[in-house]
Amino acid sequence: MRFLIVGAHLRDEDVLGIAEPIACGAVWLSGIPLAGEQPLADRELLQSAARVRAELLGRATFIAIRYGFAATPAEAAAKCAPLAEGWKRVLEANRNNVEMTLKVVAREPKPRPDRHDFASGADYLRALHGATQAADVDPRFRDAVSEIGEHRWSHRDGRSLECALLVPRAEVERVHDAGERLKRDFPDVAFLLSGPWPLEVFVDHEP
Amino acid sequence: MSEEQDLSLLETLDHLLDRGVVIAGEAVISIGDVDLLYLGLNIVLANVDAVIRTGRK
Repeated sequence: MRFLIVGAHLRDEDVLGIAEPIACGAVWLSGIPLAGEQPLADRELLQSAARVRAELLGRATFIAIRYGFAATPAEAAAKCAPLAEGWKRVLEANRNNVEMTLKVVAREPKPRPDRHDFASGADYLRALHGATQAADVDPRFRDAVSEIGEHRWSHRDGRSLECALLVPRAEVERVHDAGERLKRDFPDVAFLLSGPWPLEVFVDHEP
Repeated sequence: MSEEQDLSLLETLDHLLDRGVVIAGEAVISIGDVDLLYLGLNIVLANVDAVIRTGRK
């Protein structure tokens, strides 16, 4: 039987009763059983995966595996085995942490390059990459976000940036409060604070 | 479905589909000095708007 693999977990009891625990070296994978040749683009499956992900996070922090990895338990374990030891260390170090995400609209959104303006695909892709990297936010806002806690900024596209925050579970409310203060202090900066999420960005975080 | 629920569903789907460790079919392709991540996922995903519209029915 094939399973949609949702995440990597420290203990089997982090998964039991919510999804199928699949042994993988030093960690456990969580799997959602797939019915026959059920396509991964199935809406019900997508919504079910979102629900399972939330329930798993409610029980314990895990490393998120991007939607789309479906395999038998043996195939999944073989594919993830080389990563298992590293995942175990990350999971042990971040047992009490979750991620929160701050999406911020760029200060001067860069227009997406028009592919018709370029002679080659490489030139177009270089311009696209440049537009994405050029997006920025008010440096004072960036500083204020940095004070909330451990974080990593990344460029999503030419119009927005994203900051992933690593937050102790007990401090999620503190981060929501910090978000409210940001709204007050930077009324011109449009942003969305969401979470808690599993480890999605800090998947290599070993303090 | 309220605007807040819409936003929450969109955000959840965004994280589900676009975050986390990529296991299947990952390859890095470099063109010029631009590193591109090519994901060979064997799936076809519906447009998020379509998923939400269908979810309302």
